[in-house]
Formats: sequence, structure tokens, C-alpha cells
Amino acid sequence: MNLRLYLARRFLMLAPLLLGLSLLTFTISRLVPGDPVGLAAGPQASVEIQEALRKQFGLDQPLPIQYLSYMRGVLQGDWGRSLYTRRDVTEALSVFFPATLELTLAAVLLATALGVPAGVISAMYRNQFPDHVARVISLFFVSFPAFWLAMIMQTVLGRYAGLVPIGRRFPVIMSPPPQVTGLYLVDSLLALDFAAFSIALNHILVPALVLSFGALASITRITRASMIEILERDFVRSARAIGIPERVVIGKYVLRNAFIATLTVISLNFGWLMAGAILIETIFDWPGIGLYAVHASLSLDFQPIMGITIVYGVLFSLVNILTDVAYGILDPRIRYG
Amino acid sequence: MSEALLDIQDLHLEFDTFDGVAKVLAGVNLTLERGDVLGLVGETGCGKSMTALAIPRLISMPPGRITNGQILFNGEDLLQRPTGSMQQFRARHLGMIFQDPTTNLNPLFTIREQLVDAVLYQQANVKSVPGRWRGFLPSARQMRKEAQSRAIELMGLVGIPDAELRINDYPHQFSGGMRQRVLIAMALAGEPDLLIADEPTTALDVTIQAQILRLIRSLVHQLGLTVLLITHNLGVVANTCDKVAVMYSGRVIEQAPVRDLFHQPAHPYTQGLIRAVPSGSTSRGGLQGIPGLIPNLIDPPQGCRFHPRCPQVLEHCASQVPGPGAIGSDHLAFCHLYPEGA
Ligand SMILES: Nc1ncnc2c1ncn2[C@@H]1O[C@H](COP(=O)(O)OP(=O)(O)OP(=O)(O)O)[C@@H](O)[C@H]1O
Ligand SMILES: [Mg+2]
Repeated sequence: MNLRLYLARRFLMLAPLLLGLSLLTFTISRLVPGDPVGLAAGPQASVEIQEALRKQFGLDQPLPIQYLSYMRGVLQGDWGRSLYTRRDVTEALSVFFPATLELTLAAVLLATALGVPAGVISAMYRNQFPDHVARVISLFFVSFPAFWLAMIMQTVLGRYAGLVPIGRRFPVIMSPPPQVTGLYLVDSLLALDFAAFSIALNHILVPALVLSFGALASITRITRASMIEILERDFVRSARAIGIPERVVIGKYVLRNAFIATLTVISLNFGWLMAGAILIETIFDWPGIGLYAVHASLSLDFQPIMGITIVYGVLFSLVNILTDVAYGILDPRIRYG
Repeated sequence: MSEALLDIQDLHLEFDTFDGVAKVLAGVNLTLERGDVLGLVGETGCGKSMTALAIPRLISMPPGRITNGQILFNGEDLLQRPTGSMQQFRARHLGMIFQDPTTNLNPLFTIREQLVDAVLYQQANVKSVPGRWRGFLPSARQMRKEAQSRAIELMGLVGIPDAELRINDYPHQFSGGMRQRVLIAMALAGEPDLLIADEPTTALDVTIQAQILRLIRSLVHQLGLTVLLITHNLGVVANTCDKVAVMYSGRVIEQAPVRDLFHQPAHPYTQGLIRAVPSGSTSRGGLQGIPGLIPNLIDPPQGCRFHPRCPQVLEHCASQVPGPGAIGSDHLAFCHLYPEGA
């Protein structure tokens, strides 16, 4: 089966998946005990006000009708509003979601860019000095809780050394690059605004680094283990025997084989990092989806909850599809299907 | 002896293991002259592969350790070469193929990628080959293009039909026999002096075996190759080789032209070996039929390692390692029945 057909099928399968996901979230958010309207209207609100609010949000309708009209809205681009702030969910998501996505992507890229070479070097010098160094460093960073490391780095690098800002995505007094993707690093490059790029980079560096530590350790470990396993394969000896230089054997022939296992770990980590981002966002005052999501779920603000769930669902499905496509590119024996 | 291409002298190889030091090679002597096709036979575990891998220095050390001996290639001791220059040596002078053609090709790269690399890196003057990312340079593209036509030529040489098309395939799209041909082409890309083949046909079925052996034979004539062919199979030796060396527990115990070895085996072990071949057929060489067990390598028998199983054992066999005794021209046996220099 060719790639285009495969992709078409995978995207078609997204539809029932998202339908199921939305149904499930919808049901759960309505079955949870508690009265969101009561919470939103406040303790002093009269019954009339509560009723008006209920009517305004369509909550007086039977549940199936509510679900259908919500889904119709979703398809038309109207994802509802927050019960509290009356802010449009789509509008809020378009602000918060790119911030979280950028942080997570930066962390994944950092973890890969540092973890893969560290794993390769560890495997080449296994049980020698460089391997021990890599092991100690990664043990060090995974052994401390991320929030603690985050605060230490924030204090040391931000407050005392003054090397990086202590929080936020961009200085409050400056306007961010014109929004295209919502990822400041990308948007600033698109606008050819390199000053904005370096400012955005400066802001994201420490939060992304702290967020990446867990993933960094696991990527290093899996790359090392996988490299060691592949280095024992017959084709490595064969390539060496006919005089292929070691750097080609390792950097080209072995690494591609080993990277298949690494890829699995990277895509798994993507999900964990997205969840872990909430904590980091709190510490670094990062205007991401984390706080929005926490507020929404604590107050049973169901339309934001639904919106967040759907966006995450789509994102994870996309990561999965991308990963599967990448497997197929790396390994010709894998048939799409 | 001056024309010897490869002359291994008294090679000792040990491995550190949890149970102690395994004396895997204990004085291997082996001579290949230019143009020889020499078969190396012996029971499983006797050290054939280790001998072969010691030549290009592909044994990892540690746990391995060469404690004594020389590997003279064109008179130069390879063991004295700096490690860093071995890659160049392998590229220019050596080709090597192994038992299982399926696991010896990289599954993730096309035949083109692997064969073109073999061609490029085995060329005498190539230090660094521009990778894909610099492939836009005209010089790099030209280089890869030339290497590719050479690769197609090599595929033709080893008898792969439709080379221009099949070069784009991945290894899993090839049959076992065709994969071994690809590996032979890769080994020959640098026009090596010596081809080492470690049981190149054991993993293939019988008809394919014969084709591959015929191919190797024909390449010897076409390219003036020297071949070290490792096999379990005396039939293969009889059909393919000019000379044969018999190994037993880390030593070569007899080396002779094929004819002499089959007609006048000198060493009692070789005699047992020849007798064990079913009569009237040389196509299947069993190495069974000699009473006793293969010796342990950590605590091997003193003196001649075969003496506990030897039907003609002498008193000093248990204490002295026998040196080479000449049986005829080019025919040596390492046995006290044939005293040194006699
Ligand atoms: N890393 C190692 N540590 C300890 N012993 C080893 C190691 N590698 C090989 N050996 C031993 O060396 C001996 C010789 O192995 P080798 O592979 O050369 O045998 P062989 O003659 O090629 O056998 P076969 O016909 O089965 O291929 C074997 O007994 C093996 O157990
Ligand atoms: Mg072997």
C-alpha cells in the first residue's frame, strides 16, 4: 500500500476516534456530581439567574440534544464558551495551545538532540569514562523532581546570574511576532525578525530544558541499549571487514537501525511531556494550556474541557501517525497497512 | 616462502571468560601463497572463525588477547600495525564474506547504498566520501555516479541479472543466494588480494551452494584472487580448493595439497576425519566417527591436544607440543609421528 492511501485511511480513522472521545468526555463531564452552573453563577445568584444561565448555555435541553448541538458547533468552528469568563474556547485555545505545543516540541527536540548523541557515545565507549559520565548526569537529573530542578535553575540562571528571564514566553512590554503558527520561534523566523527569535529562544530555553530531562534520560538510555544491540549484528562486522570506516559504520549503518527504538521512545515521551508541561508552566508562568485546563476541570467548566480533550486527542493521533510514517521511512520492510 | 601472501606463525589467542582463560588459538600456523584456494576445516569450535577474524583484527580486545605470534601479509606483520590503519588495510587488501547472507546485509539500506559505499571507501585514495548532505556538489555527485556504474559492473561480475534495476532493491527483496552474491560483490569492490570466506554456503540450500562455490572458483581465475575458505565440508574442499589445512582445538595440525591430504592423510586426526567421510561420496563431510570429546579450551590437554583421543599416541605426546614435520613437498603435519625436520 502506498503512503498516500495509508495516510488517507489513517485520517479517516481519526473521525470515529474523535467521535468516541468527545462522547466519552461529554458523558463524563455531565455525570460528575456537582452543578457547574451553580458554581459559575455564584452563591448569591437567584434561581432565575441560574435558570437564565442554564438556558443561555443550552443546559435545559435533554443531554443527547446538547451533545448534538455541541458537535454541530464544533464542526462549524464554534467550540462554545467558558461558563466563567465567557471567553470563546477556540479563541482561548488558539492562544494557550501553541504556547504548550511550543514548549513541548522544544523539550522533545532538545531531548533528542542531546540524548541521541549521548546514547551513541555511551554505546561506543560502553563502561568507559564517557559512558559513566553520561550515566551519572542522566541519573542526577532524573533523580531530582522536575519542579525542584525548575526552581533551582530559575533562581540560579534567572535571578542570580541574570542569563535568562525568570518566566513567561515574551516580555510583557513587547508585542510577540505576528501569529501564524502561534509558535513564537517559528513565527519570528517567518517574519524574519531575528531579534524576536532570540528573545523567544531565551525565554523558552530553561523551561524546555527542565521539561526535557526525563525524556533526555530515557532517550539516552534506549539509544545506548539499542546501539549496543545493533553493534553486535553481523552486518556491522561485515561492513568493518571490507574496510568501511568506523564513523560511517556507526553514524550511518548502526544509527539508523538503532533509531527505530529511539523513535518509539520519543513519541511516547511526547505525550508525557505534554502532561508534564502543566507543572513547568506553573513555575515559569508560561501562558500555556496547563492553567486553563486546571481551572476548567476544577470548576467543571465543560466546554473548555471538551475543547482541550479534542485538541489533545487530535494531537496525539497526529503524533502517532507521524511516528508510523517515520517507521516506514526508516525501515523498508514495514508495509503501510 | 618469500612469495607467501599470508603467513600466520604460532598465533595464540585467549579470551577472558568467567570460568577462566580460554586458550582458543594455541599456535596456529598457516601459509597461503598467491593464487591459492585454501580450505580450512575442523570440528565446530576448533577456532576456524577466530583465525579468520584475527587476520583483519576484528576480534574485540578485550575480552580477546593475542599473546603470541605473527600474521605476515606480504611480509608485514599485521599485528604490529597501528589500529587506526587497519581500516585502510581491510579496504585495500581484504574481502570477507560470512555464513548468513541475510544477517550480513544491512536491512535498512538499498543494495545501491551499501554497494556504492563499498566501492567508494575501498578506493585507494578516498579518505572522506561526501555524504548525502553534500551530495549537491558536482564533484560528489560525479563520484557517486562513477561508483554506481562500478557497482552495477560488480553485480554483473558476480552473476546478478538485471543489475541496473535490482540495485535499487532492499536486501529483503533478494533471495539468499543473490544476497551472498551481493556480499561477494561488496567484498571484491576494492580488488582485494585476499578473500576470506567463512562458511559462505552453510546457510544456503544445496543447489545454491554449488553455484556460489562455482562463482568463487571462477573469480579466482578472473581476478587472480587468493582465497581462504572455511568449511565443515570435506566435499566442498575436494571440489573447490587446491590446498587444505586441518585444525584441531586451536591449532593447525596438517596442511597439504588437497590430493595429498585425501590420499595420504598423515595426522591420526586427519586420518580419522577422512575415514569418517561416507565411502563412495565426497559430497558430505561428517567430522564424527572419532571417539572422544572435543577438548575443553580453559584446561586443554598438555602437549598435543589430540593425544587423549589419538589411536597412535606416543609417550611424549602428553608433554610436548609437536612441531611441523614435512611429509612431502608442501605437506606438513604437526605430530610426533613425523619428527621435525625429518
Ligand atoms: N568471546 C569469547 N569468549 C570465550 N570464548 C570464545 C569467544 N569467542 C569464541 N570463543 C571460543 O572460541 C572457540 C573457537 O571459536 P570459532 O568460532 O573460531 O570456532 P569455529 O571453528 O569457527 O566453529 P564453527 O565451525 O562452529 O564455526 C570456540 O570454542 C568458542 O567457544
Ligand atoms: Mg565458525
